[in-house]
Amino acid sequence: MTSRLLVHGKVDEFVGRLLKSAEVIAPHRTPGGDLLYASVDTAADVSWDPGIPMESLKRFLMPQRETILQFSKNGKMSVSAVYDDKPKVFLAARCCDVTGVSVLDAMFGGTYQDPYYLMRRGQSTFIALTCQQPDTNCFCVCGDAGPFLKKGYDQQWTWLPEGMLVEIGSEQGQRLADAHADLLVPAELEHIKRRHQLAKEAEGRFGDFRAYVAGAMRKLSMEEVESEVWEQLADHCVDCGGCAFLCPTCSCFTTTDRFDGAEGIRERHWDACSYSCYAREASGHNPRAHRKTRLHARFFHKLSHQWAQRNARHACVCCGRCLTTCLAWAHMPAAAEAIRRGAMK
Amino acid sequence: MAEIATTCPYCGCGCGLYLHVADGQVTGVTPSRSHPVSQGRLCLKGWHAHELMDNPTRLTKPLVRRDGELREASWEEAREAVRAGLQQALAQGGSHSIGILGSARCANEDNYVLARFARGVLGTPNLDCSLRTGEPLTSGEIGDLDRSDLIVLVCNDPNEEHPAVSARIYRARQRSAGLIVISTRRHALARLADVHLSLRPGAEGHTLAGLTRLIVDSTEADGEIEAVRRSVPAISPEEVEKAAGVPAEELRRAARRYLESAQVTLVYSSALTLSPSATAAVSALADLSALARAQVGPQVSLLALASRNNLQGSLDMGVSPDMLPGYASLEDDTAAGRLTGVWGDGLCHEQGLSAWQMLGQVRALYVMGDDLLRAAADPGAVQEALSGLDFLVVQDLFLGPVARLAHVVLPAAAFGERDGTFTSLEGRVQRVRQAVPPPGEAREDWRIIAEVSAALGRPMSYQSSEDVFSEIADLIPIYQGLNYHALETPGGVRWPGRAAEAAALFAWQGAPQPVTLNGAGPQVTEQYPMLLLADPTLGPWDEETTIASTLTVSVEFALVGKDYPSGMLCLNPEDAKRLGLRSGRNARVTSSRGEGTMRVQVTEEAPPGIALTPWWQAARLGLLETVACPDTDRPVLGPTPVAVAPA
Amino acid sequence: MNNPYLPLLATIQSIKPETYDTSTFTVQIDEAEARKTFAYRPGQFLEVSIFGAGEAPFCIASNAYGRDTLDITVRRIGRVTKALHDLGVGGQIGLRGPLGNWFPLEEVAGKHLLFIAGGLGLAPLRPQIYETYRQRAKFASVTVLCGARTQGDLVYLDELTQWQTQEGMSCHLTVDVATDGWAGNVGVVGTLLPQVKWPAQEGVAFVCGPPIMIKFVVQDLERMGFTGETIFTTLEQHMRCGIGKCNHCMMGDKYVCLDGPVFTYAQLQRIPEFHT
Repeated sequence: MTSRLLVHGKVDEFVGRLLKSAEVIAPHRTPGGDLLYASVDTAADVSWDPGIPMESLKRFLMPQRETILQFSKNGKMSVSAVYDDKPKVFLAARCCDVTGVSVLDAMFGGTYQDPYYLMRRGQSTFIALTCQQPDTNCFCVCGDAGPFLKKGYDQQWTWLPEGMLVEIGSEQGQRLADAHADLLVPAELEHIKRRHQLAKEAEGRFGDFRAYVAGAMRKLSMEEVESEVWEQLADHCVDCGGCAFLCPTCSCFTTTDRFDGAEGIRERHWDACSYSCYAREASGHNPRAHRKTRLHARFFHKLSHQWAQRNARHACVCCGRCLTTCLAWAHMPAAAEAIRRGAMK
Repeated sequence: MAEIATTCPYCGCGCGLYLHVADGQVTGVTPSRSHPVSQGRLCLKGWHAHELMDNPTRLTKPLVRRDGELREASWEEAREAVRAGLQQALAQGGSHSIGILGSARCANEDNYVLARFARGVLGTPNLDCSLRTGEPLTSGEIGDLDRSDLIVLVCNDPNEEHPAVSARIYRARQRSAGLIVISTRRHALARLADVHLSLRPGAEGHTLAGLTRLIVDSTEADGEIEAVRRSVPAISPEEVEKAAGVPAEELRRAARRYLESAQVTLVYSSALTLSPSATAAVSALADLSALARAQVGPQVSLLALASRNNLQGSLDMGVSPDMLPGYASLEDDTAAGRLTGVWGDGLCHEQGLSAWQMLGQVRALYVMGDDLLRAAADPGAVQEALSGLDFLVVQDLFLGPVARLAHVVLPAAAFGERDGTFTSLEGRVQRVRQAVPPPGEAREDWRIIAEVSAALGRPMSYQSSEDVFSEIADLIPIYQGLNYHALETPGGVRWPGRAAEAAALFAWQGAPQPVTLNGAGPQVTEQYPMLLLADPTLGPWDEETTIASTLTVSVEFALVGKDYPSGMLCLNPEDAKRLGLRSGRNARVTSSRGEGTMRVQVTEEAPPGIALTPWWQAARLGLLETVACPDTDRPVLGPTPVAVAPA
Repeated sequence: MNNPYLPLLATIQSIKPETYDTSTFTVQIDEAEARKTFAYRPGQFLEVSIFGAGEAPFCIASNAYGRDTLDITVRRIGRVTKALHDLGVGGQIGLRGPLGNWFPLEEVAGKHLLFIAGGLGLAPLRPQIYETYRQRAKFASVTVLCGARTQGDLVYLDELTQWQTQEGMSCHLTVDVATDGWAGNVGVVGTLLPQVKWPAQEGVAFVCGPPIMIKFVVQDLERMGFTGETIFTTLEQHMRCGIGKCNHCMMGDKYVCLDGPVFTYAQLQRIPEFHT
């Protein structure tokens, strides 16, 4: 699957064509100045600015709140489900976010298949945009999730002086390129070389900031983390759930029903393992009543080899959003450091 | 899918967030990173703010009480019932027999129109909000925390009350800024502090006075600071230790740390202003600020954290019995004339009754978005007073405990269902924007009032929230020049820095405030050897109506109520051991006022000799002393000597 | 695509009160074809929907095989269970399942089987007790030890009474606190263990009950010579989806709904988070 080049003038036209046959979700600069992934109406709505959108792609594949069942009783009770299978193109998605999708695929697939996620996912095309300039809190180099990907995308775009280098990563990506072949020219060897050069330069821009994730992974998996580490981390957490909501790979949810006797729904909502009531049973027994146990469970789930074996890979794409959003100081870099350092005296 | 930029409806921080709308439903929330307060963060409440909309328990139709039951009615019927009820009250008792409660959570437009309705239409000065605690306005900003090399928390716990502030404190610690915590409860930030002055409840004034005295005594300069020297009692660290239980050396250590700093932010909330020694403590803080002006000690920023999203705004709009909108004095004829020019004749600019005085003195009460029962130190007595009213109207989002007692209930629109403005604890005037229409027949609070006013023969000509705001900007000097367009920037506009009037409002902070020390709280006795503190920083949002009605996170906030239905009693491990009590066991708690059974939680957060219970649970126990808060005469719960034993 | 969140509709056929707050609900799947093809193994559970209140997991507690109904024994304790108790005969519910793993009966052929239950812990063991009795010849012996706080807290009391004199199995009961008319053993369920006369090395134990009971019983069993591999238990955990998606029942590196709810004690000890 050979790479192509989309010369500068043609990018907007390509986007315009995508808009004709699918919902296009791309980074968008709001009037208030935030960079968010949003459903765009025109090519002009797409922001090509560097920087990480506030949230991952999760909201578009698993909304914060969605109806999963509809109840209706007209003499007889009936229960049905609604699905969303509108085609979507995720354009200029960050590499960390595209990697996060692969973890969600493992979570929602497997023995039981989650049709709500999988139908959206099945209709989605991922065009990653490589990052040449990391954002303040990014550390994807520690998590094998960027700033340039080797695989896991349908197409991967890189800004070159000449235009957009389009790497093809799947049959779907190939089909998309073929469908708009008139806008694309073959990429030259120098373009490929430039792309690899840019990747090296981008990796170099992460500076000294590292999160020692690998070391933390090993200690967690081998149960070598003293319980004081979690106690100390617990004083640096206020259970807001922000890390879970912004994390590209967190997918915990809870369900609520409503039914007036004639019509009703079951909804699912994003949930967070940091909440005290998360594991609490109706009897009142709560196996994770103490915050330190919840933090331990969270980071074990994210980083352990045991879980990495169940999912596609370990569940941190090192996007740094938890650092941005933490109301105290118990995010992934803080936890990784605490695990590596051990308990403070 | 669309993203609507708006402001969080919960605490006073005023975080910026986006509401996501798909297929006419608000499906979720994203924090705003560009916003100066949220900076990409939200707390547990903010993350679920969308659950106020598309919520099956919302009020969607007016309700009128017939044959003892609240029944659905049309707006015409409901307005007619309100008209009749209010007109009867006016005829029987005059305008002063009517009380009006405004809201710390509704929008400025709503409070403004309510103030107009009260003083301008009904002619009553009995206008208040149950959350008014008299704390002076803040002059500091949250951003001051980023610039400080020392942060002092005075009796508050931002982790519980103002999480966006916590975020700045934890980040300040990462760059090695100092942290001094003054509090009874040994909460997480107290444990992480450089100095924790763990004080006996009731001794806040003594402790702050002691600290201020050490700062004053650190210099021999005279001139401006002479006035401060005279204002602060000459209390020694040893005397503070005796009164407050704070070791003298710790107080000295705190003072040294303070004097080593260049820029200090002093932070407090209603947790301080609800304590019996609030006046003394806050005066001492003002004196520290005055010292800073006189170049003694570090530069000081005073950050008062209003509890709710629009408590500050409600004060700006004049929801208070003792001033006119915009903090104009009741004697200010110019201000009165300005209002009369727009509102028409009959403006009442007398002193009115506070929320707590109203109960038992008014015959009719009109309540907009106010949770009087939850703010009450004696909810039983308040409930009785409400039940005894001739006429009670409640305008709100949910059928909460006050609404259930009403004769007429009117359904209001939530923050995501209308345009409007909130004014945060920083005096930041910010937009809320409509994302979806209100459910059923609910509508904006200001519109409900305007329609009721029309039914009374005094129509108001507002067509939109923007119209109302435009009038606010005309009539209230500190909002002059503001309009919805000017408020487009994330973070809105902070009024305290803008107008000359604002400077006048903060003049008190430059002038020395005399600190009068009364007793340092009750003493324990042989019969009642422990102190029980009703802690306002423990679970301040638990079972609050707007939280209790959310779909998912209500469960989280209901836990203490579920696990400790008769009251949670936090005991220090030493005390628990001595008393033969363990976590989960029941304890009999006795005071001079009565007896009750509470369930124990053993925790290091409770200091030895002091038992803690959440303020909202303490209010239902009937065990604690009530004291009147000097500035608002709001009854508050004082620390009380108790005896604790296994039940 | 098959939707594992879609429940089958079922109707409550009968309700038998077991204790003051616990009843056994016998339900039948409405749709005939689905009813015919529904097959489960003892140890598995159902996600039961009470439409409008929510969904909760309950172990299949049926006492017969080849029947076209299912039993669940439920204590009235939270929103969903209260709504179930309020439904009544003829009430309509939703079912998803069978979910989870099951007691590995084939692996324990030839062994002495020991069932130890505390209170409502007898419910998940009940189908297995009946199944082993049905295939009685495959096992060396079947012993049931059952305890509860008081006589009034014992479930399936009529069956327990019958088992005490049933040929081919032995059954012993105990209560923590004796109340009127109780003539049997008094003490925690561990006090019944001396009734076991065969060597532990030839036996397998299935323990179910409150966490504190399991802890002490396991200690006793290990002293007798049982090992982590020959002690089985079934766990209760807060669940939402029951199919390993919502993550609520996550414990260490396991999902109780997928990898359990049946675990050997050795497996539990290897779970990083597990503490008795």
